[in-house]
Amino acid sequence: MGDMKTPQQGMTRRDFLVRSTVVAGSGFLSIGLPGLASKDAAAAGTAAFTPSIWFTMTPDGKTTMHIVKAEMGQHIGTGLAQVIADELEVKWADVRLDTPLESVANFAVYGLAYTVNSGSITTEFDRIARAGAAGRMALIEAGAKVLGVDAGGCYAKDSRVVQKSTGKSVTYGEILQKVTIDKKFAYPADFKSIALKSRDQYSLIGKSVASLDVPAKTNGKAKYGIDVFLPNMVYGALVIPRTRYSSKVVSVDDSEAKKIPGFIKAVKIEEAMGKCTGWVVAIADKYPTAVKAAKVLKVKYDAGPYAALDTPALLAQYKDLAKNEKESAAWVLEGDVDKGFSEAEKTLEMEYTTDMICHATMEPLNCTVQMTNGEWHVHIGTQSTSFARMTLTGYLATVLKKKPEDLKVFVHQYLVGGGFGGKQDYDDILAAAWCVKEVGRPVKLIHTRESNFATSFARTPTYHKLKAGIRDGKLVSMNQDIVCGWMGARFGVGKKYGSDWLQLDSVDGKSQDIDQWSIGGSDHWYEVKNHRVRAWNHETTTWAVQASALRTVSNSYNIFVVESFMDEVAHAAGRDPLEFRLSMLNGKGGNRGIPNTGYPPGTPSDYYMDRLWISLPWASENSWPSYESATVGGALRLANCLRVAAGKAGWGTRRLPPNTGLGIAVTAAEERQSPTWVAGIAEVTVDPATGSYSINRLTIAMDPGIVVNPKNVDAQIRGSALWGASQIMSERLTLKNGGFEQSNFHQYQPIRLAQVPEIDVTIIASDHHPSGVGEPASTIVAPAVANAIYNAVGARVRHMPIAPEAVLEAIKKAKA
Amino acid sequence: MPQLSINGQSYFTDSPPDSPLLWVIREDLRLTGTKFGCGGGYCGSCTVHINGQPVRSCMVKLGDVDSNAVITTIEGLDPSDAHPVQRAWIEHEVPQCGYCQSGQIMQAAALLAVNPNPTTDEIVQHMNGNLCRCATYSRMVTAIHRAAQLAKEA
Repeated sequence: MGDMKTPQQGMTRRDFLVRSTVVAGSGFLSIGLPGLASKDAAAAGTAAFTPSIWFTMTPDGKTTMHIVKAEMGQHIGTGLAQVIADELEVKWADVRLDTPLESVANFAVYGLAYTVNSGSITTEFDRIARAGAAGRMALIEAGAKVLGVDAGGCYAKDSRVVQKSTGKSVTYGEILQKVTIDKKFAYPADFKSIALKSRDQYSLIGKSVASLDVPAKTNGKAKYGIDVFLPNMVYGALVIPRTRYSSKVVSVDDSEAKKIPGFIKAVKIEEAMGKCTGWVVAIADKYPTAVKAAKVLKVKYDAGPYAALDTPALLAQYKDLAKNEKESAAWVLEGDVDKGFSEAEKTLEMEYTTDMICHATMEPLNCTVQMTNGEWHVHIGTQSTSFARMTLTGYLATVLKKKPEDLKVFVHQYLVGGGFGGKQDYDDILAAAWCVKEVGRPVKLIHTRESNFATSFARTPTYHKLKAGIRDGKLVSMNQDIVCGWMGARFGVGKKYGSDWLQLDSVDGKSQDIDQWSIGGSDHWYEVKNHRVRAWNHETTTWAVQASALRTVSNSYNIFVVESFMDEVAHAAGRDPLEFRLSMLNGKGGNRGIPNTGYPPGTPSDYYMDRLWISLPWASENSWPSYESATVGGALRLANCLRVAAGKAGWGTRRLPPNTGLGIAVTAAEERQSPTWVAGIAEVTVDPATGSYSINRLTIAMDPGIVVNPKNVDAQIRGSALWGASQIMSERLTLKNGGFEQSNFHQYQPIRLAQVPEIDVTIIASDHHPSGVGEPASTIVAPAVANAIYNAVGARVRHMPIAPEAVLEAIKKAKA
Repeated sequence: MPQLSINGQSYFTDSPPDSPLLWVIREDLRLTGTKFGCGGGYCGSCTVHINGQPVRSCMVKLGDVDSNAVITTIEGLDPSDAHPVQRAWIEHEVPQCGYCQSGQIMQAAALLAVNPNPTTDEIVQHMNGNLCRCATYSRMVTAIHRAAQLAKEA
């Protein structure tokens, strides 16, 4: 994320234009927007062609899909291309992918390039299906003309237009060579004429076609940001500041560095927009030389306001903050919670805490920046080339004292060597750009693993206080208080910063900001008559640890808390945790989901989806044909997943070995407005003498609606489930003296092969609008394991990660 | 000027002898399939073969590489990029983000070279030093078994 204040800029058009030009025997078909079409018209008569928004078809029959979503392991280009190709009826073998250059001009054409929130298929599906279908309709008309027959009697299949009665046919390529296509699909009337396929008509959607990015990832040919070379470029390595944020460089002594052959310069990065605080970059002709020089540069810092902070201090401050109820912002407020508690027969109060973790992508952060002919070119693998461009433009405008509109900034996208939310900050680009200015040559800035950890954008620590009221064995009232560092402020969103984008208003009448990305997941789908969630922003955390989004964002802690606590309540109420959950996942009231008509204006969905999914450029005008909300079916779909997972795991029917238990969890991550329904059961064996535990098996059932590519969905579920296992077993990021304590993979330990449990995945492909699959399964592992530990040995852990020592302590407490 | 034999070709580099071999391979010789992950031998992204042995190239100094050493990188694993491990990797669609996969493939190929029929336990033991943040682990195990089979069919 970067400057998020003007996401809608330049995206107001909504008609489709399908056109081709016949030039010297060759034609191109494009489908796009009118603004672009005028460019096409200008290009007509020449062989040059500006590619259009969704795809370009050339007379050899090859179709290139233009993918603005970042390829970072989800094979998203293949998935999106499958949807277009299915409706377009183009042969899959003729499909190619490319990635448009990010620029001011292309931003107006392609919209915001931002890959986040497991939202690519959810938000793109409907419009790209329509784009494909519009292309097919135009080709059928043109093909009929070529054949000299009535279009009504023709259909398209395998890149051909065929007359039904005679079988006479013409290929798409031949059509483009022979006739000009100029067809407009005006909004809204013509949109209704676009008949999308029904599910039984799909030929590519639902098939595990081979992902197009895979082969190059097996032979060294795949190009990531770190693989860029530019003529005359030099290398930069970062000197790690003492504190994560807000230290200031007092002096730089480069006398030792100067003795190293190849060392060029120590560059103190010009700070602006609160970025790159305390950064010094060693520049050299080769990377190892830059690293060596960075190690011997003597930098003196003013360590800044966060220099004394550590994780225990933050948690202590959170507890204090939560005592101040007046300053809370309520984001869920149903019924009368306090009355519910007073009428309860039994109440249960618990505290939960979670530690920080970080993305630790295998490809360390890096970028290469060049300034040539007045143009700034950034080469990088990033989750948002658009925000990268906007952020660098803003920075350069400030530090070079220029007008943003006078700056020409281009961002070239490469494969992303792991994202997980960790490649949507652009400090490295700003630093590299400043180095370019200082040395007058292109600069490739690569983080060492140590500087990458030191500059992590961490998942905030969290503190939760929960209270349940039980009456007649039922959960009648529930309160959750959450304190953590909200990330919104860091991106300049929030009333305080003059932008309410991405922020919700509190529902307590105080109209305070609520940062959904920091609270989400607490708004669960269980029917609880009286339910309240209150939140406090600990802004010191936001800045001190540079709080950020990490795979499932706030769900990654809130699902642990909610689902662990639900188990505690079930046990306290004397109910079976499965039966207890199913009784509350009844799809009643607000948990029924939004009906099939799409989301009407004024609903929370409307707000959030429209604001966040700005790749739906028309949504803010409320003009895009509404498509089915992913919430349809609501909690009943979640209950269905739970029954499947519980059944497959043998809940209540299997005889388990000693010290072994099953634990349940469900999630509707990512956001309440874009849920993917997932249930998981963990089987865990605990060693009561040491507290160490092993996850034997995870049983996962997911209903993501329509499944575009089952093999990829399976891969995403397994990968994210192991991400979930990793974050409880061995990952832990801690703050000490304002800096992160872990520096490399010997201290920060993602899951390895030997720790991998058996995973049983069931994909429940339903007819509903597709929702994201890359993240949600990661959230259920922590609570399912915590609940399994309880069922195995009676010990309750209320902290994440789940350390063996904490399990042992809980075992002792349970015995006492 | 140090000379290296990589993938059957001779290369010269002007890098100082204390440079990690990884950076010479990647940045000087531009064989970028070999990836930088940690610089400490913890992750295996930079795995290459030196005389057939899987080696973390970030931990090897250029000056310590024997002039007769035969170095193989992912680019030279097979002349047609069709080593059984590569074919199995594609068949089972192992890579997600793909960044660590060159190292994984080199590590797996080295195993099959000495143990054409590894058990799952042997695979786990041999591959445990290679991190994959996307956690493509179970497909890797399946693909290594498959590669063993493909190698026999060839």
